[in-house]
Amino acid sequence: MASTMYLLSEFRDKEAVAGAIHSLRASGVGDSDIDLFSEEPVEFKRGVLDRPSQMSLAAVLGAIVLGGAATAFVRFAQYNYAVNTGGMPTFSFWGTGVITYEMTMLGAVLATFVFFLWESGLIRKRDKTAPVPVVPPECICLRVRCVSGDVVKATAILQESGAISVEKKAPL
Amino acid sequence: MYRHIKQPELLPYGKIREDLFRPLSGLTRKYLFAIIAPILVILIGGYAWATQLRYGMGVTGLQRPVFWGFYIVDFVFWIGISHAGTLISAILRLTDAGWRKPITRAAEAITVFALMIGGMFPIIHLGRAWYFYWLMPYPNSRLLWPNFRSPLLWDLTAICAYVTGSVIFLYLPLIPDMAQLAEHNTPWRAKLYHVLSLGWTGSDTEWHALERAMKLMAGIILAVAISVHTIVAWDFAMAIAPMWHSTIFGPYFVVGAIFSGLAGLMIVMAAIRKLMGLELYLTRHHFNNLAKLLLLMSILWLYFTMAEHLTVWYGNDPSEMVVFGARTRARFSTLFWLMVFVNFVVPFVLLGIRRLRNITTGVIASVGILFGMFLERYIIVVPTLSNPRLPAASSTSYAPSWVEIAITAATFAGMIVLYLIFSKLFPIIAVWEFKPHPHEDEI
Repeated sequence: MASTMYLLSEFRDKEAVAGAIHSLRASGVGDSDIDLFSEEPVEFKRGVLDRPSQMSLAAVLGAIVLGGAATAFVRFAQYNYAVNTGGMPTFSFWGTGVITYEMTMLGAVLATFVFFLWESGLIRKRDKTAPVPVVPPECICLRVRCVSGDVVKATAILQESGAISVEKKAPL
Repeated sequence: MYRHIKQPELLPYGKIREDLFRPLSGLTRKYLFAIIAPILVILIGGYAWATQLRYGMGVTGLQRPVFWGFYIVDFVFWIGISHAGTLISAILRLTDAGWRKPITRAAEAITVFALMIGGMFPIIHLGRAWYFYWLMPYPNSRLLWPNFRSPLLWDLTAICAYVTGSVIFLYLPLIPDMAQLAEHNTPWRAKLYHVLSLGWTGSDTEWHALERAMKLMAGIILAVAISVHTIVAWDFAMAIAPMWHSTIFGPYFVVGAIFSGLAGLMIVMAAIRKLMGLELYLTRHHFNNLAKLLLLMSILWLYFTMAEHLTVWYGNDPSEMVVFGARTRARFSTLFWLMVFVNFVVPFVLLGIRRLRNITTGVIASVGILFGMFLERYIIVVPTLSNPRLPAASSTSYAPSWVEIAITAATFAGMIVLYLIFSKLFPIIAVWEFKPHPHEDEI
């Protein structure tokens, strides 16, 4: 049975990394098997290494949930001990709209933060067996997961694409 | 060695990292003095507050009809300063202004600390501060709920949302820097940074998520920041008091907040530039851009002040004209015209004339603006309360007591101490974000 291996390659040039990703994909390596490590964000053109996100949707949902809950709570409180409002409505959106607004925004903030932690993998159970490369300054490291039978082919692709070093590592 | 380099982006990455991480280690004599002096002021402020808690609100200058004085002025002032960070940082992030990068963290930290300080004032003003939890939305022993229609509760909600958002907005871009700091540091620091960086590895998944979160947060926090100062303005505008009940109070306060926030940011930046030797990173270009923004806000502030006063003068409502007169011709006129001088005339000359515009004049103008904006809040609060609609009530005049002055001074000292501690624990410029602007010499 083929075992999993990791290839850690170092690049100096962003374009070379993009080329390597294209070639790896063409050879059948999936996006989830490719990880990039750098000391600052590396921006590629659309289609190179897209990471689809649901963060905006999460923020909107968080806003709706907390805003709705706050409004419901305020309405409940107003009726729970109804004060004499002199003919005015017991619950008025004008009077409590600010609280709804602020709680809506707070919901969006909290949902964004929680979703960031989830989507970035910081609070998810990550694959602890995958080696994490030490990135030298001004370098970009590409980590490729592949089966042991594909190591030679993947190494050749990385070297042809301009990797300054390629290191083979077994899972930790 | 690198003094000849006029464009900081040409510096090697190792040098940038070393320069920006260096201020975190070691305690210089300058730093110790800078932190001990304000701590003494805080202790005096603490004693003043203890005196107020022991003897009651009678030790302040507050008395009928002026029940809001320095404490509310301080509250509005500090909430205004808080707009320096998150709002400015969010605007610059959303517009992708390249020159923002060395500025944003310094600004975001101001927001968090100013909010913490500003948020204390309603509690100090309560008198019986230990009952502050009565504001929390729970039914008390008589099954009463807090009054959700009260602007005081709106403030609480808005400030809680803003503090939460601002802390997250400050924390998120700190994560990559803390991960780097965790690598080579003293054991306790390494542990601290390791825990706070949540095991950040620098993978593209993490970077993507961070960038997305920062963009979203910038949009959300902008809406929150504007609402917070609008709500602070509504504390006044919802009362049918002369010269408070105004529809433009919301935007007027927001403009004033951004104005004072920018001035605060300019002073802080000049101080950290000097104290931490960051001349290569906080260049004249950054100060020049901030000065231009400050000038714009000064003109906007004058426009709103004019609009507010001209409308009242033209309306000629007797109760409003009493306050108008007190502000512009009578008891408060010196403060009023001094405010106009330092908030408009000084910045217009020092920042508007290109030859005069530099870091020193920027700081001078900013100090004046902070003073002027404090005066502005005083002039909004006190003359109206001194001249209420019921003439019989207007019998006494307000002057702050030593307790209020000491507590106010302590908050300024508190800001300095919090900032100095922050700058020792975290890099004041985001290392991973740092891409200096090429046009350093443009001025």
